[in-house]
Amino acid sequence: MQLEKPKPPSALRDALHTAALALLLVPAATQAQTAPTTANTSDSPDRIDVTSLFYGEQGRTSIFEPVVRFTHLMQDGQSLSGQFGLDVITGASPTGELPSGQVQTRTSASGRTITSSAGTLPTAPFSDRRFAFDGDWKKPWGRVVTSTIGGHFSREKDYQSLGASGMIATDLEHRLLTITIGGGVNRDTVFPVGGTTAGLSSSAIISTASNQKSVANVLIGVSRVMSRRWMLAVNASESHENGYLTEPYKLVSVLNPTSGVPLTSLTEKRPSTRTRSSVMGSSVYHFTQDLLYSSYRYYWDTWGIRSHTLDLKYRHQFDDTTYLEPLLRFYTQSAANFYTGGLLQGNPLPDFASSDYRLGALNTITVGGTYGLRWNDFPGDWTVRAQLIRQSGNSSPPNAIGVQRRFDLSPPVNIYAVVVGYSFGY
Amino acid sequence: MRRLLLFTFLSLTLTLSASATGPAPDFTLPARSGTVSLHDLRGKVVYVDFWASWCGPCRQSFPWMSSMSEKYAKDGLVIVAVNLDKDVDAAGSFIQEYTPPFTIAFDPAGKTAEAFGVEAMPSSFIVSRTGKIMYAHQGFEQSKSKALEEKIKDALKP
Amino acid sequence: MKAKTICRMLIGFTLLLVAGCQTVKPWDRDLLAQKQMSFNPAPMLQSIDEHIYFSKEASMGGASVGGGGCGCN
Repeated sequence: MQLEKPKPPSALRDALHTAALALLLVPAATQAQTAPTTANTSDSPDRIDVTSLFYGEQGRTSIFEPVVRFTHLMQDGQSLSGQFGLDVITGASPTGELPSGQVQTRTSASGRTITSSAGTLPTAPFSDRRFAFDGDWKKPWGRVVTSTIGGHFSREKDYQSLGASGMIATDLEHRLLTITIGGGVNRDTVFPVGGTTAGLSSSAIISTASNQKSVANVLIGVSRVMSRRWMLAVNASESHENGYLTEPYKLVSVLNPTSGVPLTSLTEKRPSTRTRSSVMGSSVYHFTQDLLYSSYRYYWDTWGIRSHTLDLKYRHQFDDTTYLEPLLRFYTQSAANFYTGGLLQGNPLPDFASSDYRLGALNTITVGGTYGLRWNDFPGDWTVRAQLIRQSGNSSPPNAIGVQRRFDLSPPVNIYAVVVGYSFGY
Repeated sequence: MRRLLLFTFLSLTLTLSASATGPAPDFTLPARSGTVSLHDLRGKVVYVDFWASWCGPCRQSFPWMSSMSEKYAKDGLVIVAVNLDKDVDAAGSFIQEYTPPFTIAFDPAGKTAEAFGVEAMPSSFIVSRTGKIMYAHQGFEQSKSKALEEKIKDALKP
Repeated sequence: MKAKTICRMLIGFTLLLVAGCQTVKPWDRDLLAQKQMSFNPAPMLQSIDEHIYFSKEASMGGASVGGGGCGCN
């Protein structure tokens, strides 16, 4: 830390300076911006970023998540960041069970009331509050090497996560090539409300002790400046999870093998290890004023899930600080090999089973956009991102039995997510 | 083949010596009024700076260069800041704001930067009274400006 | 599935990146110097999106390491 750091300019002075500079730098006659004003808030030694997420699923969960982040930039290029976030979650979540054809109300092992109307997927109400702290320290080593180390802690009613990560990036070939290597470890604890149940049981509590889950991941990335307008990157990552990977409250229906009527429900059970791998290619292309961001990711894991993700953003720059950025995202995944719609009465129990729709075959389409702006005479940058997310699975799987053929077994989930962000330097 | 290797080797050593202590590549460039030529400045110590309006550290170096120019002009220092913006208008509004008291030259094609072997933005070269590069510097940091001023003082010593 | 093919493509692509021939001179990097010319120009928005998709889909990973715990439903 430097003690004799020059006093940072006041926010007002900074704002006036910025406004004056912006006026000078954008000649009214041409209007088209030619180069960015570097005299924006990113030059300030301290910065605050605030975001608020408003998230809602039709008929299910809603989330409010405010996050505030402080960043301090030192003269020698080091930076320190601290972030605090809060999640307020309320709503209902599908239990994994199948429709019975009649209204049902009962109480689950975790003390939650499970209701289901005829023909729809049973859901359980829940509410939770989660808070998270993150910190990181970025340090340049000479002109071409930068390291970042970070820490994370979060806690909610039944889950705690503690993590650390590190990353080192180096510029090569006259700063046209950047190689990044990073890794992280997480030590998570799951303590289900009411205790941990045995997998594939009728919610029999076997322990009130907490369960451990550990995660270790590595990442390697190569990015290159291809031309004055174009950058390309490839990242590969692998993550090993070990321990309690089951969702404590999810259930699997046991069906009458001929009529398809649910007879009972069992807790789900997942393997205790999972290795996830992904490769991702990204591109940023700069047109005269506008930019196109695109990326593709292929993911595979040892549970048998494969997925493809395509992400596109087109940024139309009105001037230095105002832009509109429509976005599109396509996602498709195959089912985990232990995913099942329901088990059949009389058949031997499998080693693992889950009816969590997120482990089934699934498609997601996202449409949205970001608007960024700065108000004259008011310091800081504003962003608003709004997205509509639609998830759909297999509504009528061919192996549905009896009465189940009449129901929509994977009704589409419609989600909206709005983020308002504000950042300013001082 | 051998000739090609020799040529590569020679051009490599030439590039290296140009950015170390060799003779400074001459240039004649348009300035705010008229033109500026390096060979016309023989007998003066010339601080040649390469900059662009989009480069943050370049912006920071301007007040410092102004003070150097005011402090050492009487001892024979001339500052020539070569602008490399592709769009001369962008440079124009920058200059309007900083009103530098030293010479600004324009080289939108970057030919001079190429000749000097510029590796980073900004880059500066101290050219002696006899037209030799005495010192080359990359980037601009407030904390290193004191040492850079010493180099200028050394060059100005008779 | 085609993990091997994809790995091979990745290696080829990486070689292409490392060996890429066009060079961009320091004074030609005006567009590259812009804040929006980045793979992740809005990291906070990006991490919110990642969090949403992490809790609604089975995949994760890509461009960043670490990550938070989430017993998300």
